[in-house]
Formats: sequence, structure tokens, C-alpha cells
Amino acid sequence: MLKLKEVSKVFGEVVVLDHVSLSVAKSGILGLAGASGSGKSTLLRCVQGFEKPDSGEIECNGRVCFIFQDFQLFPHMNVLQNLVYAPDLKADGSARQKNEEKALALLKSLGLGDKANSFPALLSGGQKQRAALARSLMIDPDIILCDEPTSGLDVMSIADVISLLREVRSRGVTMVIASHDLGFLTEISEKVILLKNGRIVVEIDPKQHDDPSKLLTQYY
Amino acid sequence: MSNFFSSFLLIGTGLALTLKLLFGCFIIGLSLGTLLAILKFCKICVHVIDLFVSFLRGTPLLLQLSLIYFSVPGIFGVQLSVLSAGIIAFGINSSAYIAEILRAGIESIPNGQFEAAISLGIPKNRMWRDIIMPQVVKNILPALINEIVDLLKETALIATIGGMDIMRYSQIVGAAQFNYFAPLCIAAIYYYVLVSLITWISRLIERRTSYVKA
Ligand SMILES: Nc1ncnc2c1ncn2[C@@H]1O[C@H](COP(=O)(O)OP(=O)(O)O)[C@@H](O)[C@H]1O
Ligand SMILES: [Mg+2]
Repeated sequence: MLKLKEVSKVFGEVVVLDHVSLSVAKSGILGLAGASGSGKSTLLRCVQGFEKPDSGEIECNGRVCFIFQDFQLFPHMNVLQNLVYAPDLKADGSARQKNEEKALALLKSLGLGDKANSFPALLSGGQKQRAALARSLMIDPDIILCDEPTSGLDVMSIADVISLLREVRSRGVTMVIASHDLGFLTEISEKVILLKNGRIVVEIDPKQHDDPSKLLTQYY
Repeated sequence: MSNFFSSFLLIGTGLALTLKLLFGCFIIGLSLGTLLAILKFCKICVHVIDLFVSFLRGTPLLLQLSLIYFSVPGIFGVQLSVLSAGIIAFGINSSAYIAEILRAGIESIPNGQFEAAISLGIPKNRMWRDIIMPQVVKNILPALINEIVDLLKETALIATIGGMDIMRYSQIVGAAQFNYFAPLCIAAIYYYVLVSLITWISRLIERRTSYVKA
């Protein structure tokens, strides 16, 4: 579904990604672990095309959508408008009606049923997270890139995010999730890759280990 | 008292020119300012525009007005009316400030908003129209209102080339009565009320465009 071959990226003097190779199968979740500054966000940004790698290849089948650490909901639109704006650009009357129904159903399933008409400024962190996820699901992406989905969330909300992402995976969406939260990553991912100074230092299948977080910590 | 009242009405006839000037030069300033702000994204144009803008900001507005009113006929062979000379001079001058306001407004939008739009597959033109510009306009509204208020006060310079605005009428009435105090106070009241009106309207707009309102 998604394949990186020897991808490198340099900002000025700093080598941010150093010959990174990896692959993700369809409907899988790949976890990107690593300390702050290890290159997780840059890797995601390269996949989306926000940054151009200096060398290497990225192979990607299907539509990619990015979920930002700070969500980047459109502040001047209410939640429903945030969801339907992009799909409505390619739709006419009856298709727009369908988009709205789809958006409302999605919001309801994410527990945001009563927030359709609220503006993003009035949502909590967890609600914004869910709204951003709903907005990307509206364009039927094949791959979702998720940057630090648990940052700023309390433990309860993190548990919500986990069940939410599992539910998204069950729709057949492939995900790459960048996070410095090892407990969260090892719980949700089929495969966790640890980045350090832009290089992959270890790759594990969390289910094969008793305490995958502890294992990863040794490589931090 | 009836003397005061008739002065009040007479000076009020200058309102027509003042408002025509204000409206005209704001339209010119906004259009030209938008054009300048867009052209500043083009690498080659930047230096020319910067020079133009620094001239407009670095010389007195009165000089610019005189330049257009007194020297354009000599150069281009057309005599501009007082009103058009004022609209052109004040409009061009304010375009420099409006261009700066717009550019700062665009730069204040986080990069992530552009990237979110791209990630959702929103085409460039729709992104600018529906995602970026509405936020820019909301952000720059206070600065824009400020610029309108400045413009209103600057229109009083039209009196120096014989424009019959509020300012000029108050001077004429003052000269006729051998007493400038009351007429100038009346002019001040007109300007003050106009400024208050503009500020009040802007607050209304700001409240109506607030994101927080559900
Ligand atoms: N646009 C940029 N220009 C220069 N340096 C950058 C840029 N983006 C990221 N970096 C640098 O790249 C390194 C990795 O950043 P990032 O990918 O954000 O790491 P992470 O997401 O793992 O915290 C950091 O040292 C950061 O300062
Ligand atoms: Mg990051």
C-alpha cells in the first residue's frame, strides 16, 4: 500500500531523514516512534507531499490524507461545513444531500452528533481530534497519516482515540501514526518503527513481546 | 443660536464631497492594494513595489496630492477635477497601507490551513476563496477600519486645492463671521460623528463574524 525506499531529507545542515525504508500493508497500522526531533513529522510530511525528499522513492497507492497535530480545522466553518466542504466541491444537489447525511452519520458514530453546528473554537481537544478524523474520512482516503494524535489528551481520551483508530482500520483504511507515546503506539500498531536522528533503529511487532514499550525504551 | 444652526447646515453641505472622496479613495485603495499584495508574491515585482510603497509612505500626502493636481495637467495635458485628483491621490496612497495590511493578514494564517486544504484535495482557487480569504478578512478588519478612519481625516487635505469639503466650508464660514471657533468646532463634530459611525459599524460586523457564535 505504502512503500518508502531509502528516503532522505536534509534541512540545511541537518539530516532529518537518513535512508529510511519501510512498507505498510493495506488496512494496517504502522506506528512511528521516536523522541521529539527524530524526524517523525517530516516522514509523514514527505509521504503527503508537503516536503520533497532529497533522495529515495515513495510509492503510494491511493488517496492520502493528513491529520495534523493541531487538527487545522477551518475556524470559520462549523463542524458540519468542515466535513462536507471538500467532498461537496465535486458534488451536485443530490450528491451533496448524501454528503450531508454521511457527515451527520459519521459525527453521530464519533459521539459528535450534537456538535454539527458548533464552531471548532468551542470544541475540546478530543472533540477536535474526532472532527478532524471525520473530516478526513469524508474524502474516503486509502491512507491516513496521523501526527501525534494523543498529544494534549487525558488518559480517558487516549482510550477513545485507540478505539476510534481501530474502528477506522476496520473500514479498510491504512494508517501511519507518529507519536512519542510508546504505550499508545504499541497498543494500536501491528508494527512499530523507532526513529532516532532520522534513522530506523529498530522495528518490532508489539504482539510478539511481553513489554514492547520497555523494549523500545532501550533503543531510545 | 439660529446663527449656529445655519452654520451647521452650511458646513454640512461639505459632507457630500468628504463622503464621495472617502468612498472613492477607499475603493481605489482596496483594489490597488489587493493588486499590490498579490504582485508581491511575484519575485521580480517585489523590488519595484517596495520602491513605490516606500515613496508613498516616505513623502507627505499633501505633496502627493499637489503633484497629481498641479503637475498631471502639464505632463499629460488633462485637467483633473478636484474630486478626481483627491480620489486618485488618497486612493494610491492608501493602497500602500492596505497592501501591507493584506500581506500581514495572509501571513497570519497558519501554514497548516493551506496544507489541510491541499490534503483534502481542495483546488488552489477555492482554497483562497473559501478557506484563506474569509479568515484574512476577519483578521484584518480592525486594521482596515483604522485605515478608513485615517482616510476620512486625510480627506480634509482636499481643502488645500480648493475642494469644498467640511473643512473648507468651516474655514469659509469662519472667515465670513470673523470667528473661527464655532465653525471649526462644527467641523470637528461632523468628523467625530462620522468616525464614531464607522467604528460602530465595524463592531457590528466583528460581532457578526465571530467564530465562537454557534
Ligand atoms: N521546515 C523545516 N526547516 C528546517 N528544519 C526543520 C523543518 N522541519 C523540521 N525540521 C527539523 O527536523 C528535525 C525533525 O523534525 P520533526 O520531523 O518535526 O521531528 P518529530 O516530529 O519527530 O519531533 C528537527 O530537528 C527539526 O528542527
Ligand atoms: Mg512531530
